[in-house]
Amino acid sequence: MFWGNSAKVKLDRALYDKVAKVADVAGYATTDEFVAHVLEKEMLHFENMKGDDDIRAKLKGLGYIS
Amino acid sequence: MFAAIQNWRRQSTYGDPIVVVSGLPRSGTSMMMRMLDAGGLGTVTDGIRTADIDNPKGYFELERIKDLEKEADKSYIRQSRGKVIKVISFLLKDLPPDNFYQVLFMRRDLDEVLKSQDKMIEHRQADDPTQNDTLKEAYRNHIVSVRRMVRNAPNFAIHEVFYAQCVSSPGQVATEVNAFLGGRLDAAKMTAAVDPSLYRNKSG
Repeated sequence: MFWGNSAKVKLDRALYDKVAKVADVAGYATTDEFVAHVLEKEMLHFENMKGDDDIRAKLKGLGYIS
Repeated sequence: MFAAIQNWRRQSTYGDPIVVVSGLPRSGTSMMMRMLDAGGLGTVTDGIRTADIDNPKGYFELERIKDLEKEADKSYIRQSRGKVIKVISFLLKDLPPDNFYQVLFMRRDLDEVLKSQDKMIEHRQADDPTQNDTLKEAYRNHIVSVRRMVRNAPNFAIHEVFYAQCVSSPGQVATEVNAFLGGRLDAAKMTAAVDPSLYRNKSG
């Protein structure tokens, strides 16, 4: 899709070919759908506030934050 | 050369750099503070947290930094220009944006970090509701996130230092750190400040 709420990401051709094969085998409708799904899962790690809560609790116990 | 130009631009915009020793607790931040102190860089510390079994040679900390996340007035940080201050990685995001920070980011095997933190928690007899398997994953994500934040910020420069290398090859680390900071320190004294016997047989 060229219009609307989407943007392009460049990938190395060799990597793209591998990703496309895996997307096909895994049953995704398109390679884009597979890439988006993987990235969404990965983003959850970074946006996981529970992780921050754990770190904050540990740092308090260690005496590094108040 | 490019880094030198970048630093010159940062310095002309933000003033003299504040050297920040950062990383997770128990990743070698106090060791690096001691190296920089020995090398001739002024340290910003209040001496409130004194040496103990976990850090026999002292912590080099500023108590007020613990409140960095909550405090509205952070103007005191500016007084650290030209010196070095310890700020754990969790609080780097809370540093005020009007300074140039040269970050020495300490890295250490996460299992060693967790083991050492557990010992410290035990010594402090503090509550610890966390589980190490989930915390390890959280730390891993946290480090990625911090590195990305620092690399994208216009007023930050970062140099990563690996704990194991610091203990095994302090001379090389001292030379690299000194180069990162512009070559103004005494690398030989920095090297001598590392006491391998203190670290070799302990996981903390």
